Amino acid sequence: MTVLLAARRVSKSFGGVHALRQVDFELRAGEVHALVGQNGAGKSTLIKILSGALQADSGQVLYEGRPVHLASPKVAQDMGIATVYQDPLVYPDLNVIENIFMGRELRDRWGHVDWTSQRARASELFQDLGIAPTFLEEPIGRLSLGLQQLVLIAKALSYASKVIILDEPTAILTQGETERLFGVVRRLRDARLGVIYISHRLEELPLIADRVTVMKDGEVRGTFPIAEASRDRVIDLMAGPVARGGPGARLRPGEVVLAVEDLAVPPRVRDVSFEVRRGEILGMFGLVGSGRTDIAHALFGLVRPSRGTILLEGQRVSLRDPADALARGIAYLPEDRKAQGLFLRMPVRSELSVAILRWLRRLLGLVDTSEEDRTARSLVTSLAIRTPGLDAPTSQLSGGNQQKVLLGRWLARRPRVLILDEPTRGVDVAAKEEIHDRIVQLASSGVAVILITSELPEVLRLADRVLVMHEGRLVALLDREEATSEAVLRAATGERTAYAGSPP
Amino acid sequence: MPALLLEGARVPVSRLRSRGASLLRSREASVAAFTVALGVSLHVATGRFFSLENLTNVLLDSATTAIVALGMTLVILTGGIDVSVGSMLGVVSVAVGYATAAHWRLVPVSLAGIATGLLLGGLNGALVAYGGIMPIIATLGTLSILRALTFQLLRARWISDLPPTLQPLGLGTLLHVPVATWVALALAAGVVYLTTYRPMGRHIYAVGGNAEAARLAGIDLTRVTLLVYAITGALVGIAALVYVGQTGIVQSNTGAGFELQVIAAVVLGGTSILGGRGSPLGSVLGALLVAEMKNGLILLNISGLAEGMVTGALILLAVGADLLRRRGRW
Amino acid sequence: MVGVTRGDRLLRLVASDRPRFLLGVLLLAVAVFALTTPDFATLYNLFNMTQYGVEIGLLALGETLVIISGGGSIDLSVGSILSLSGVVLGLLTMQAHINVWVSALLGVLAGGALGALNAVLITVVGIPALIVTLGTLYAYASAALVLTNTVPISGLPAGFFVLGQRHVLGIPLQVVVVFLPVALLLHYLLRHTVFGRALYSVGTNEVAARFAAIDVRAVRFWVFTVSGLLAGLASAVMTSRVASARPDAGMGYELQAITVAVLGGTSIMGGEGTVLGTILGVLVITVLSNGLQLAGVHPIWQLGTVGLVLVVTVLVNQWLLRHRVGVL
Repeated sequence: MTVLLAARRVSKSFGGVHALRQVDFELRAGEVHALVGQNGAGKSTLIKILSGALQADSGQVLYEGRPVHLASPKVAQDMGIATVYQDPLVYPDLNVIENIFMGRELRDRWGHVDWTSQRARASELFQDLGIAPTFLEEPIGRLSLGLQQLVLIAKALSYASKVIILDEPTAILTQGETERLFGVVRRLRDARLGVIYISHRLEELPLIADRVTVMKDGEVRGTFPIAEASRDRVIDLMAGPVARGGPGARLRPGEVVLAVEDLAVPPRVRDVSFEVRRGEILGMFGLVGSGRTDIAHALFGLVRPSRGTILLEGQRVSLRDPADALARGIAYLPEDRKAQGLFLRMPVRSELSVAILRWLRRLLGLVDTSEEDRTARSLVTSLAIRTPGLDAPTSQLSGGNQQKVLLGRWLARRPRVLILDEPTRGVDVAAKEEIHDRIVQLASSGVAVILITSELPEVLRLADRVLVMHEGRLVALLDREEATSEAVLRAATGERTAYAGSPP
Repeated sequence: MPALLLEGARVPVSRLRSRGASLLRSREASVAAFTVALGVSLHVATGRFFSLENLTNVLLDSATTAIVALGMTLVILTGGIDVSVGSMLGVVSVAVGYATAAHWRLVPVSLAGIATGLLLGGLNGALVAYGGIMPIIATLGTLSILRALTFQLLRARWISDLPPTLQPLGLGTLLHVPVATWVALALAAGVVYLTTYRPMGRHIYAVGGNAEAARLAGIDLTRVTLLVYAITGALVGIAALVYVGQTGIVQSNTGAGFELQVIAAVVLGGTSILGGRGSPLGSVLGALLVAEMKNGLILLNISGLAEGMVTGALILLAVGADLLRRRGRW
Repeated sequence: MVGVTRGDRLLRLVASDRPRFLLGVLLLAVAVFALTTPDFATLYNLFNMTQYGVEIGLLALGETLVIISGGGSIDLSVGSILSLSGVVLGLLTMQAHINVWVSALLGVLAGGALGALNAVLITVVGIPALIVTLGTLYAYASAALVLTNTVPISGLPAGFFVLGQRHVLGIPLQVVVVFLPVALLLHYLLRHTVFGRALYSVGTNEVAARFAAIDVRAVRFWVFTVSGLLAGLASAVMTSRVASARPDAGMGYELQAITVAVLGGTSIMGGEGTVLGTILGVLVITVLSNGLQLAGVHPIWQLGTVGLVLVVTVLVNQWLLRHRVGVL
């Protein structure tokens, strides 16, 4: 029972937030070790430390029994630890052989690149994985994502890796591709490699894993053989006790503002139907790849749905672009505030007003700066945004305050429907509270709120109803009473439960 | 060992023994086909295209472009560009001209030319790789600096009446094919060898294809970048030898506008302007196409002034078509 | 701060206040040339300089707008648009016998059309701006040469030269009538209008701008079109000043325009740049070119010097960025 890779009492924080707390983990040779947990449980952080992308604050990483310092992914790779991420890092125009050997070309005795050996070796690698190597000369960009993933696994093998880490590999795969992947993983195990397999598809685990480690809030809640890992036990460990008790009773929700019927959004969302009422907070919960953001993008005009109807106050609408959606009263707070939301270099005042510029336009295109000022001030006050001043660049603000600025931008628009995508991600506890209060206030004032979140406590606290997505499908629509953490997690991990409300 | 069912490869696989993407094979073939088709059309229209003299002229004209296009291919493969090659040609031609006028022999003259080119190319490379300047900005700057330098070195005169040292290289033929073309083909073979069989040559594709992945794979982006600009400079050096051998004159505007032809050749030959995909062989064919187009203008009695419009339009059409096709494809 | 050299401190000073730095450079250059070059510090020369500066200034302002829009946006074709617009003006006046002022207006609009062509290829077809404007640089220049068969168009009605050659209280007319209004308009546009806000947003973070419901393509379309219009305007002024429409009038001007914009604080990455900064940049480059010309340096070296200034400016910028001081 050789231990290939281990983490001993590893801890890691990011700016005061504990991502990992004294985590112990070990991977044995010839085992497939599944790592499960909610978003934010610490799985990615642990994996990044084990693969050299991050360094732990304290604790040790041991490879084959010896403490090692994995200074970079390349160091880890050379040592024999290979990681296959969800976004395949490939050279799209080069073929499979070129992709596998780029940077470590096989050479002949004159120092030339030895294509014959490379092709032979690539064939061999795929045959070891049980795949017929008929696509070696194709540009990898033309292959399906599932095949690209397999190429990366083959590449990992070519490094004579002993440890292969797969990060949510089946999130992008079809049923057939998943089975193919399982076959490959079993071969790896039989060849005495160690595989760390991160997944949220609990139903897969019995098919492929030997042991399971469950994480929650940066800690390991348990590690046990698959035979002892019943679904209930795993979910229980993932969820844990959650404080109920929301911010207080609200007004009864009013009439339906937004309704969606049979919505399908490429690549995976389909058959989604739901409605949102005035004054209601509809929580949208789901794990990675469940399609919630795709729905949001469709509702905001960023993406055209391939099927289905969107109805605003009973009228069919076709949303051409975000400006169109905004004009109709739908606002969207994006998931990634740094990349998709903030301009960082610009002053707080401008960040707040960028979505209402049209309203601030006066004669000759002039911006009404005094109106802008008034609006900015009132938003800063009502959201309790702590900033050195209205002209300070947003980059100077803390994460929580930046998020508030982003929220303020959309509030200025007085939307009828506000879609919030992970509104408290990376935000400190105090700001989180304040944002939660504001969300509830919003709902009370009649706004229909769709709250997309991966944080169970948040959705349970705030939502009147919880819509659970899994693999692009709507799996459950739970009322507040029905929405326990177990129920929600069950649905999010693939179990179909009873619908609340009318079926599609 | 039972092979598992293969799913997902929707594209029928060709069993060609190509060294690059099979996609490119078809692109090179279509460029070649187009070149032939254009030639035939010109002959039908004017009756003069397929004469030995005319074909020789076209080949002669294409040689300098082809030689430098090989280097430009490498630069564009990394996602960069070099608009200073025209001015570089000017400076190196001056050096070569002076050396020839001073009765240096062929080999020393050649070495002088290549060395000068290498140095200037290295300068571009350093600005981009170490200085972190965007390739267009850096080479736009060196374009004007080197043009001024060309003028300065000539001191408001021009070089002419040169001894015939370089003439065999510039105007000679071997088996009815110009020596210059043989040189271009030999260099093409060298560059193809580099990009196919040398690891460093392979890394050029990586840098342009996915810089992040390349870095993670341990590829030294700085060295690769420096290399492609330096190689381009050296190739400009060789092109200058051919040029001076062909024309026997060096003026202060020697090489002006040359960069357009070179970029057109590369783009027409199938290299993607975004980097990561391309073929040196295609660029050579592209150079032939450009020369053919210029020849066509002459045969059709269209003013040579229109060259810029035609070449510019060709570039835009080629890149536009490539981009639209890409969007449909993946 | 430990280990801060005098050089570091100087560079920090430079980085923190670009306009003041440029002003300093300007005064220094003026002083140097005034002392070393005869004929520099005369009213006549000052007058000449300012005339020339208007044309570069208009192009540079257009370039500033384009570069601010980010995403690799750059306009290499401004010089050629200038040439071709001038040819249009000349041909309409001399061949089609249209009133010269009407022709001038049509020439400006022609510039706008050429810029709009760039804009369509960039925003609709999706070809990178670099390649589009590189292609049109040559295509437009070639068109100008073909239309005139390389012969400058002269014989324009003398009444037209008022624009480029007269003055008002000692200040060249084109400064008062063309440049200042345009500069003020663009300053107003950038600082105080919705479009200006949208432009800076697009240049700072294109994705966020899209998510904020800003029409990124429309913004980019307009900046390239305006760049063309400004080139057309510069062409009318130049034609009036030199009393002829030369088909190669704009050669090398794109380099100067870009250099001026970058020198004036426009970041090549997008999202930054001001009218004031560009104007200061124009002054510096104009003084430099003029001083060199009077000192007997060949025009080719004026261009070479501009190229040098460009490279050095960007090098220093990159150095500062890397050391996180700010952008020069």
